[in-house]
Amino acid sequence: MDPITSYLGIACLLFTIGGIGLCLRRNAIVLFMCVEMMLNAVNLAFVAFSKIHGNLDGQVAVFFVMVIAAAESAIGLAIILSVFRSVASIETTDAAELKW
Amino acid sequence: MSFMEFVIAAIGIASAIGVVGFRNPLSSAFSLILHLLSIAGLYALLGAHFLAVSQVVVYAGAIMVLVLFVLMLLNLKSESGRRIGIVRSALTVGVGLVIFLTVSGPMLAQFTDISQATLEQNIKASEGGVKAIGELLYGKYMVQFELSSLVLLVGVVGAVMLAKRKNVQLTPREGGMGGAK
Repeated sequence: MDPITSYLGIACLLFTIGGIGLCLRRNAIVLFMCVEMMLNAVNLAFVAFSKIHGNLDGQVAVFFVMVIAAAESAIGLAIILSVFRSVASIETTDAAELKW
Repeated sequence: MSFMEFVIAAIGIASAIGVVGFRNPLSSAFSLILHLLSIAGLYALLGAHFLAVSQVVVYAGAIMVLVLFVLMLLNLKSESGRRIGIVRSALTVGVGLVIFLTVSGPMLAQFTDISQATLEQNIKASEGGVKAIGELLYGKYMVQFELSSLVLLVGVVGAVMLAKRKNVQLTPREGGMGGAK
Protein backbone atom coordinates (compact mmCIF):
# COMPACT_ATOMS: atom_id res chain seq x y z
CA MET A 1 0.00 0.00 0.00
CA ASP A 2 1.14 3.53 -0.72
CA PRO A 3 2.43 5.56 2.19
CA ILE A 4 -0.18 8.26 1.50
CA THR A 5 -3.20 5.98 1.25
CA SER A 6 -2.18 4.29 4.49
CA TYR A 7 -2.67 7.69 6.14
CA LEU A 8 -6.24 7.60 4.83
CA GLY A 9 -6.67 4.18 6.42
CA ILE A 10 -5.36 5.48 9.75
CA ALA A 11 -7.75 8.44 9.53
CA CYS A 12 -10.71 6.11 8.91
CA LEU A 13 -9.70 3.93 11.84
CA LEU A 14 -9.36 6.88 14.23
CA PHE A 15 -12.72 8.27 13.08
CA THR A 16 -14.34 4.89 13.78
CA ILE A 17 -12.75 4.65 17.24
CA GLY A 18 -14.08 8.12 18.05
CA GLY A 19 -17.56 7.16 16.85
CA ILE A 20 -17.55 3.96 18.91
CA GLY A 21 -16.53 5.98 21.97
CA LEU A 22 -19.35 8.43 21.26
CA CYS A 23 -21.84 5.54 21.34
CA LEU A 24 -20.36 3.69 24.33
CA ARG A 25 -19.44 6.28 26.92
CA ARG A 26 -21.83 8.28 29.10
CA ASN A 27 -19.54 10.91 30.61
CA ALA A 28 -20.16 14.20 28.78
CA ILE A 29 -16.49 15.28 28.87
CA VAL A 30 -15.36 11.94 27.44
CA LEU A 31 -17.97 12.36 24.69
CA PHE A 32 -16.52 15.80 24.02
CA MET A 33 -13.03 14.30 23.77
CA CYS A 34 -14.30 11.66 21.34
CA VAL A 35 -15.70 14.44 19.12
CA GLU A 36 -12.28 16.12 19.18
CA MET A 37 -10.73 12.81 18.15
CA MET A 38 -13.09 12.48 15.19
CA LEU A 39 -12.30 16.05 14.12
CA ASN A 40 -8.62 15.17 14.24
CA ALA A 41 -9.13 12.09 12.11
CA VAL A 42 -10.84 14.20 9.45
CA ASN A 43 -8.00 16.72 9.66
CA LEU A 44 -5.49 13.95 9.04
CA ALA A 45 -7.46 12.86 5.97
CA PHE A 46 -7.50 16.50 4.78
CA VAL A 47 -3.71 16.71 4.98
CA ALA A 48 -3.31 13.37 3.18
CA PHE A 49 -5.65 14.56 0.40
CA SER A 50 -3.69 17.79 0.13
CA LYS A 51 -0.56 15.68 -0.41
CA ILE A 52 -2.27 13.47 -3.01
CA HIS A 53 -3.56 16.41 -5.04
CA GLY A 54 -0.47 18.54 -4.61
CA ASN A 55 -2.03 21.79 -3.44
CA LEU A 56 -2.30 23.48 -0.06
CA ASP A 57 -6.04 24.12 0.09
CA GLY A 58 -6.60 21.05 2.25
CA GLN A 59 -4.14 22.31 4.83
CA VAL A 60 -5.93 25.67 4.97
CA ALA A 61 -9.17 23.75 5.57
CA VAL A 62 -7.48 22.02 8.51
CA PHE A 63 -6.55 25.44 9.89
CA PHE A 64 -10.19 26.54 9.77
CA VAL A 65 -11.33 23.30 11.41
CA MET A 66 -8.89 24.04 14.25
CA VAL A 67 -10.37 27.54 14.68
CA ILE A 68 -13.90 26.13 14.82
CA ALA A 69 -12.79 23.40 17.24
CA ALA A 70 -11.31 26.02 19.58
CA ALA A 71 -14.58 28.00 19.63
CA GLU A 72 -16.56 24.77 19.97
CA SER A 73 -14.52 23.60 22.95
CA ALA A 74 -15.07 26.89 24.80
CA ILE A 75 -18.84 26.78 24.24
CA GLY A 76 -19.16 23.02 24.79
CA LEU A 77 -17.33 23.07 28.10
CA ALA A 78 -19.44 26.05 29.25
CA ILE A 79 -22.58 24.06 28.40
CA ILE A 80 -21.24 21.03 30.31
CA LEU A 81 -20.54 23.29 33.30
CA SER A 82 -24.05 24.72 33.31
CA VAL A 83 -25.57 21.24 32.97
CA PHE A 84 -23.45 20.17 35.94
CA ARG A 85 -24.81 23.12 37.93
CA SER A 86 -28.42 22.13 37.42
CA VAL A 87 -28.17 18.31 37.49
CA ALA A 88 -25.05 17.89 39.70
CA SER A 89 -23.75 15.21 37.33
CA ILE A 90 -22.32 15.05 33.82
CA GLU A 91 -23.51 11.55 33.02
CA THR A 92 -25.68 11.88 29.95
CA THR A 93 -28.22 9.42 31.36
CA ASP A 94 -28.82 11.71 34.35
CA ALA A 95 -29.67 14.70 32.16
CA ALA A 96 -32.54 12.95 30.42
CA GLU A 97 -35.37 15.32 31.32
CA LEU A 98 -36.26 18.05 28.89
CA LYS A 99 -37.29 20.66 31.46
CA TRP A 100 -36.65 21.49 35.09
CA MET B 1 5.52 3.13 5.20
CA SER B 2 8.63 4.01 7.08
CA PHE B 3 9.46 2.77 10.56
CA MET B 4 8.91 6.23 12.08
CA GLU B 5 5.44 6.56 10.54
CA PHE B 6 4.53 3.09 11.76
CA VAL B 7 5.59 3.80 15.35
CA ILE B 8 3.79 7.16 15.52
CA ALA B 9 0.63 5.76 13.94
CA ALA B 10 0.65 2.84 16.39
CA ILE B 11 0.97 5.26 19.33
CA GLY B 12 -1.89 7.34 17.92
CA ILE B 13 -4.23 4.38 17.50
CA ALA B 14 -3.34 2.89 20.90
CA SER B 15 -3.94 6.18 22.71
CA ALA B 16 -7.22 6.65 20.80
CA ILE B 17 -8.37 3.27 22.13
CA GLY B 18 -7.20 4.46 25.56
CA VAL B 19 -9.43 7.55 25.37
CA VAL B 20 -12.45 5.31 24.81
CA GLY B 21 -11.39 2.52 27.16
CA PHE B 22 -10.18 4.19 30.36
CA ARG B 23 -12.87 4.41 33.01
CA ASN B 24 -11.37 7.45 34.72
CA PRO B 25 -12.00 10.62 32.64
CA LEU B 26 -8.65 12.05 33.74
CA SER B 27 -6.80 9.07 32.22
CA SER B 28 -8.84 9.58 29.06
CA ALA B 29 -7.76 13.23 28.95
CA PHE B 30 -4.06 12.41 29.27
CA SER B 31 -4.44 9.68 26.67
CA LEU B 32 -6.03 12.25 24.37
CA ILE B 33 -3.04 14.56 24.83
CA LEU B 34 -0.75 11.72 23.69
CA HIS B 35 -3.09 11.12 20.75
CA LEU B 36 -3.03 14.77 19.67
CA LEU B 37 0.77 14.88 19.91
CA SER B 38 1.09 11.77 17.74
CA ILE B 39 -1.24 13.36 15.15
CA ALA B 40 1.08 16.38 15.20
CA GLY B 41 3.95 13.98 14.50
CA LEU B 42 2.07 12.55 11.52
CA TYR B 43 1.50 16.10 10.20
CA ALA B 44 5.23 16.78 10.48
CA LEU B 45 6.04 13.55 8.62
CA LEU B 46 3.60 14.56 5.88
CA GLY B 47 5.45 17.88 5.51
CA ALA B 48 2.68 20.05 6.97
CA HIS B 49 5.01 21.85 9.37
CA PHE B 50 2.76 24.81 10.16
CA LEU B 51 -0.13 22.50 11.01
CA ALA B 52 2.11 20.34 13.20
CA VAL B 53 3.11 23.37 15.28
CA SER B 54 -0.42 24.75 15.54
CA GLN B 55 -1.72 21.28 16.46
CA VAL B 56 0.64 21.22 19.44
CA VAL B 57 -0.16 24.80 20.46
CA VAL B 58 -3.93 24.88 19.86
CA TYR B 59 -5.04 21.31 20.52
CA ALA B 60 -2.53 19.74 22.88
CA GLY B 61 -1.97 23.10 24.55
CA ALA B 62 -5.01 25.33 24.74
CA ILE B 63 -7.98 23.00 24.27
CA MET B 64 -6.65 20.22 26.48
CA VAL B 65 -5.76 22.66 29.26
CA LEU B 66 -9.38 23.84 29.10
CA VAL B 67 -10.67 20.25 29.29
CA LEU B 68 -8.39 19.36 32.21
CA PHE B 69 -9.38 22.59 33.97
CA VAL B 70 -13.08 21.70 33.71
CA LEU B 71 -12.37 18.13 34.88
CA MET B 72 -10.58 19.45 37.97
CA LEU B 73 -13.31 22.03 38.56
CA LEU B 74 -16.09 19.44 38.53
CA ASN B 75 -14.11 17.21 40.93
CA LEU B 76 -15.84 14.02 39.77
CA LYS B 77 -15.85 10.75 41.58
CA SER B 78 -13.48 8.57 39.64
CA GLU B 79 -16.09 6.00 38.70
CA SER B 80 -19.80 5.58 38.69
CA GLY B 81 -21.06 2.10 39.45
CA ARG B 82 -22.86 1.40 36.22
CA ARG B 83 -20.90 -0.75 33.84
CA ILE B 84 -21.48 -0.88 30.13
CA GLY B 85 -23.00 -4.22 29.17
CA ILE B 86 -20.94 -6.65 27.12
CA VAL B 87 -23.73 -7.07 24.56
CA ARG B 88 -24.01 -3.35 24.03
CA SER B 89 -20.28 -2.82 23.61
CA ALA B 90 -19.93 -5.78 21.24
CA LEU B 91 -22.85 -4.45 19.18
CA THR B 92 -21.32 -0.96 19.04
CA VAL B 93 -17.91 -2.26 18.01
CA GLY B 94 -19.58 -4.39 15.30
CA VAL B 95 -21.50 -1.42 13.91
CA GLY B 96 -18.30 0.63 14.08
CA LEU B 97 -16.42 -2.00 12.08
CA VAL B 98 -19.14 -1.99 9.41
CA ILE B 99 -18.93 1.80 9.19
CA PHE B 100 -15.12 1.58 8.99
CA LEU B 101 -15.23 -0.90 6.12
CA THR B 102 -17.86 1.02 4.15
CA VAL B 103 -15.97 4.31 4.54
CA SER B 104 -12.41 3.12 4.07
CA GLY B 105 -12.99 0.63 1.25
CA PRO B 106 -14.02 3.11 -1.48
CA MET B 107 -11.66 5.77 -0.13
CA LEU B 108 -8.60 3.53 -0.36
CA ALA B 109 -9.65 2.13 -3.75
CA GLN B 110 -9.89 5.67 -5.10
CA PHE B 111 -6.19 6.48 -5.22
CA THR B 112 -4.57 3.30 -6.49
CA ASP B 113 -4.12 4.57 -10.04
CA ILE B 114 -1.86 7.54 -9.23
CA SER B 115 1.63 6.95 -10.53
CA GLN B 116 4.48 7.18 -8.05
CA ALA B 117 6.14 10.01 -10.00
CA THR B 118 3.13 12.35 -9.92
CA LEU B 119 2.63 11.52 -6.26
CA GLU B 120 6.17 12.50 -5.39
CA GLN B 121 5.88 15.65 -7.46
CA ASN B 122 2.61 16.54 -5.71
CA ILE B 123 4.13 15.92 -2.30
CA LYS B 124 6.95 18.33 -3.11
CA ALA B 125 4.43 20.90 -4.40
CA SER B 126 2.41 20.88 -1.17
CA GLU B 127 5.11 21.57 1.41
CA GLY B 128 3.08 23.40 4.05
CA GLY B 129 5.49 25.91 5.55
CA VAL B 130 4.40 29.11 7.27
CA LYS B 131 5.02 31.21 4.16
CA ALA B 132 2.98 29.06 1.78
CA ILE B 133 0.02 28.73 4.18
CA GLY B 134 0.15 32.42 5.05
CA GLU B 135 0.03 33.48 1.40
CA LEU B 136 -3.10 31.35 0.90
CA LEU B 137 -4.73 32.57 4.14
CA TYR B 138 -4.24 36.25 3.35
CA GLY B 139 -4.90 35.89 -0.36
CA LYS B 140 -7.42 33.34 -1.56
CA TYR B 141 -9.03 32.72 1.84
CA MET B 142 -9.02 36.31 3.11
CA VAL B 143 -12.79 36.54 3.76
CA GLN B 144 -12.96 33.18 5.50
CA PHE B 145 -9.99 34.12 7.67
CA GLU B 146 -11.68 37.34 8.83
CA LEU B 147 -14.94 35.48 9.43
CA SER B 148 -13.12 32.93 11.58
CA SER B 149 -12.04 35.76 13.89
CA LEU B 150 -15.72 36.66 14.21
CA VAL B 151 -16.51 33.02 15.09
CA LEU B 152 -13.88 33.11 17.85
CA LEU B 153 -15.34 36.36 19.21
CA VAL B 154 -18.85 34.85 19.29
CA GLY B 155 -17.40 31.76 20.98
CA VAL B 156 -15.77 33.82 23.73
CA VAL B 157 -18.90 35.92 24.35
CA GLY B 158 -21.13 32.83 24.34
CA ALA B 159 -18.91 30.93 26.75
CA VAL B 160 -18.87 33.85 29.21
CA MET B 161 -22.65 34.24 28.93
CA LEU B 162 -23.26 30.53 29.55
CA ALA B 163 -20.82 30.26 32.44
CA LYS B 164 -21.92 33.40 34.28
CA ARG B 165 -25.65 32.69 34.18
CA LYS B 166 -27.24 32.12 37.55
CA ASN B 167 -29.26 28.99 38.06
CA VAL B 168 -32.62 30.04 36.66
CA GLN B 169 -35.58 29.14 38.83
CA LEU B 170 -38.93 29.02 37.09
CA THR B 171 -40.92 30.89 39.73
CA PRO B 172 -43.47 33.65 39.12
CA ARG B 173 -41.83 37.03 38.68
CA GLU B 174 -42.27 39.49 41.49
CA GLY B 175 -41.69 43.23 41.51
CA GLY B 176 -40.85 43.61 37.84
CA MET B 177 -37.67 42.84 35.97
CA GLY B 178 -34.20 43.55 37.21
CA GLY B 179 -35.28 44.38 40.74
CA ALA B 180 -33.12 41.86 42.55
CA LYS B 181 -29.40 42.11 42.14
